[in-house]
Amino acid sequence: MKTTKSTISRRHFLQSSSAAITAAGLFGSSPLFAQGNDEVKLQFMYPVGVSGDINRIVTEMITEFNTTHEKIQVEAIYAGSYDNTEQKVMTSLGVGDPPATWLPINSALQTFLSMDALADVTALAKADDIYQDFLPGFLSICESEEKLYGLPFQCSTPVLYYNKEIFAKAGINKAPDTWAELMETAKALTVRDGSDVTQWGLTFGGGWHDWIFESFVRQNGLVPWQQDKVMFDAPESIDALEFWVQMVKAGVMPAASTWQGSANDFMAGRTAMLYHSTGSLTNLRTSSPFDVGVAFMPKNKTYGATIGGGPILMAKDQPDAHLEASWTFARWMTNTQNQTHWCKSTGYIAARKSSWEGEELKSFINEVPAAKVALDQAAYAGAFLQVPGYHKVREYLKSAIDGTLAGDTDPTGALKEATVKSNKEIERVMRRRS
Amino acid sequence: MSMRINFFKPKHDTMVAVFMLLPSLVFLAAFTYWPIIRSIYFSFHDVMLGSDKIFFLGWENYERVLQDSLFWKSFRNTAFYTLITIPVAIICALLLAVALDTKIRAVALYRSIFFYPVMIPSVAAGMVWVFLYAPGYGPINGMMEFLGLPKLEWLYSSDWALPAIMVMSVWKYSGYFMLILLAALQLVPRDLYEAARLDGVSAWHQLIHITIPLISPTLYFVIIIGILHSYQIFDYVYVMTQGGPADATNVLTLYIYQNAFQYQDIGFASTVANMLLLFIGGLIAVIASTIGRHVHYLGK
Amino acid sequence: MNQSLLKRYGLHGILIPIALLWISPLLWILVTSVKTRVEVFDASSGLLPQNFIWDNYPAAMAVAPFGTYMINSVLVTGSILACQIVTISLAAFAFARLTFPCKNLIFSLFLLQIMFPIYAIFLTNFITVRELGLLNSLPAMVVPFIASGYGTFMLRQAFRQVPTELADAARLDGCGHFATLWHVYLPLVKPTLVAFAIISVVTHWNDYMWPLLVTNSESVRTLPIGLGLLAKSDSGADWTRLMAATVIVVSPLLLLFVVFQRRFVDSFMHAGLK
Repeated sequence: MKTTKSTISRRHFLQSSSAAITAAGLFGSSPLFAQGNDEVKLQFMYPVGVSGDINRIVTEMITEFNTTHEKIQVEAIYAGSYDNTEQKVMTSLGVGDPPATWLPINSALQTFLSMDALADVTALAKADDIYQDFLPGFLSICESEEKLYGLPFQCSTPVLYYNKEIFAKAGINKAPDTWAELMETAKALTVRDGSDVTQWGLTFGGGWHDWIFESFVRQNGLVPWQQDKVMFDAPESIDALEFWVQMVKAGVMPAASTWQGSANDFMAGRTAMLYHSTGSLTNLRTSSPFDVGVAFMPKNKTYGATIGGGPILMAKDQPDAHLEASWTFARWMTNTQNQTHWCKSTGYIAARKSSWEGEELKSFINEVPAAKVALDQAAYAGAFLQVPGYHKVREYLKSAIDGTLAGDTDPTGALKEATVKSNKEIERVMRRRS
Repeated sequence: MSMRINFFKPKHDTMVAVFMLLPSLVFLAAFTYWPIIRSIYFSFHDVMLGSDKIFFLGWENYERVLQDSLFWKSFRNTAFYTLITIPVAIICALLLAVALDTKIRAVALYRSIFFYPVMIPSVAAGMVWVFLYAPGYGPINGMMEFLGLPKLEWLYSSDWALPAIMVMSVWKYSGYFMLILLAALQLVPRDLYEAARLDGVSAWHQLIHITIPLISPTLYFVIIIGILHSYQIFDYVYVMTQGGPADATNVLTLYIYQNAFQYQDIGFASTVANMLLLFIGGLIAVIASTIGRHVHYLGK
Repeated sequence: MNQSLLKRYGLHGILIPIALLWISPLLWILVTSVKTRVEVFDASSGLLPQNFIWDNYPAAMAVAPFGTYMINSVLVTGSILACQIVTISLAAFAFARLTFPCKNLIFSLFLLQIMFPIYAIFLTNFITVRELGLLNSLPAMVVPFIASGYGTFMLRQAFRQVPTELADAARLDGCGHFATLWHVYLPLVKPTLVAFAIISVVTHWNDYMWPLLVTNSESVRTLPIGLGLLAKSDSGADWTRLMAATVIVVSPLLLLFVVFQRRFVDSFMHAGLK
């Protein structure tokens, strides 16, 4: 073996590899950094929340985007449910390799902000028509302290679904519009066989019932959270839970349910009314053997709704060219035509006024009047529980609601406890942040 | 030849053993021991998913776990689940394995029927059982009514949600254990039964006095695996109830998953995992020194 | 003979009702997969579909590239199994038949793998896989499972059932440890190997969380992720297509099982050693 040569080449190798390591260190946060050519590669992680077709629709949209934007190449990554998506994005963030854009549930906004992961796009949005054309309630889900961190893409709220056949049979011709009417209607529609209930008047989609609960609190005129605390023990919140307890005690609604199970219950005629996501509209409409009515959630002091679904967020930790490309992408996904298309094919509520003013959605509303209900209700809608550590806060709230409805404890005590625990958790996460 | 073996045996054995264990140990080191070491390290720190900053905490995480009522609730739920589900599933499995180790007609069909639940992906199986348990139109309540039993709210009730998941687990795990026991029965010489049968020993006594002792190594395996499996149940709970209602179905693995990936509290999740490892390790040691002593190996 | 015939019919009498109970969820899956969406929960339309709607199958396949997923699933589960058979045969033999220091301690170290809660090791393993440069590739779904404490334990128990005289005889014939393992032990415990193989394949075939975390591209993803598209939803499940996809995902496994369960009839040791 030629020793000298091999030593030299080894040293050479060491030098060049250390140079490579330095380069990797410099650009380590963006391994997708374009090499040589101008093409920018972006990743987009998204969940599938409504039906299997969403994967196909998103893929088609991305393909179209990539063919119409020759300098940007977006890779669409299906990441499971909202929870799975969040988990995947966070894990990538932890190793300094986040996707350029992703689609989480809107409650996660503060969580990602506390990780300093989001790019502030306020200036870009102001230079555009974003503030004029998006529905304000929907835009608010990406806002914190007057700054914008994303664009609303797929938005939903809870709505009241009702079984028109059962209503007709009972001689009721209109959906309830106030809490009192809700109680009356539910009573009239509950059917018993001895002590067994064969048909409930009303069911709330379990698992996300805390989301529905926040809508009730909003109907009492309160948003039960701020950026750094929750107010589940406010009179408005306690009153909302007391109303739920009354309905359970009156025997018109089950004390608990599951998200999947409640949708099945409705389709099987086991419950006359159902609070579920607007995202379920297409599924319930096409799978129920009867006419499905859709109405506003009844008001108390006011109408009120909580927004589910999410915005497209952009990573902070990326070069300017990439951020610009990410913005182009998010902007394109939420342009008038694409929001129209997305709304029609999935049932999510289009976030742009111009989409609703277009001919396509106008004729869609004629065809599916229920879609209009969701849009109108959106005027009363706001973001859902955007506090740091929202996952745990949700668990505390759900436990409090479940325990109360099961009769183990009283609304005031349960909600006070949940508030104390939640605020302690928020404080812990905030302390972590600084 | 034999002299050489005897002379070299102890040392030679050790070398062969090292060689034979090495492939496993390399991968265990990378994907089991390293994570466990990190988990021990994490448990003394404040580690957040998605952040590279780590702060030293000392024993604070351990104190938090012990004070968390939800930890104890999920611990109790898991223990209750394990204590009932595993014995029932193993007994079902044993009876099925013995019955299907014969040459009865359609044995392949029977075996497939009892084993297929293991194959159904949990997302799908979970959804099907949500339907089966539906109060009102679900077939299980229909059957309860037919048998004159009271109808239950099942997954909607904090008293019955966990038992509902346990019943489903018996459906799933009986076939799983059956397969393992069926394989074990193949290692047992059949002539032992012939002799017993000629002596007029009843089927029940054959089971107790011949079959069980003869397959005791595998029964022992199944008991330990059953316990380990059941304390890792996650899929069905995640699909069907997400731990509700009122945390009635929150189990330890779900609890760890929530803490690690939803609450981003890796330090806390690691702490729970470490404490469980200690507990389950102790439990297995107890089982090994009690049941383990009664295991009879044909090979010795 | 007559008595045993009687016994056999008696056995069917007990088994048939239980089997019917056991199989009913599968029947529901099959029936639902050929229904229209409206029929699924409509009590008045009865248990059976009005018409058999086969469209659900192509419609389920259309949500994701199921062909690619199927090939990947086969590659991943196949590779895991092949590697595991090697690692566990060697390790189980060492534990069952060799004497070496700290044997029990090392054996309990193997069991650690099944004792430690899986979600507590996800993060570290993600980082490891990433540092190995395996992220978003098929090996990422294989490497964490190559060693199997479970399989080692299972096989060790079976090896210890093999009469030592057989091993001694092989030894006298001049077989080394490896030859004894290969020619005596592995053939004798074939039923256990088959059982392990079935369990390993079924487990990894249905694995969802880990593949979801470590893969991004459709070209390296596996079947359960396609299934997840139909099940994980805000809107209630897409029942008819979910059940069709379930049938698609499960059929290869069922086929495999029906073929291999024959191994559980009259193996060498069972029938007698003479």
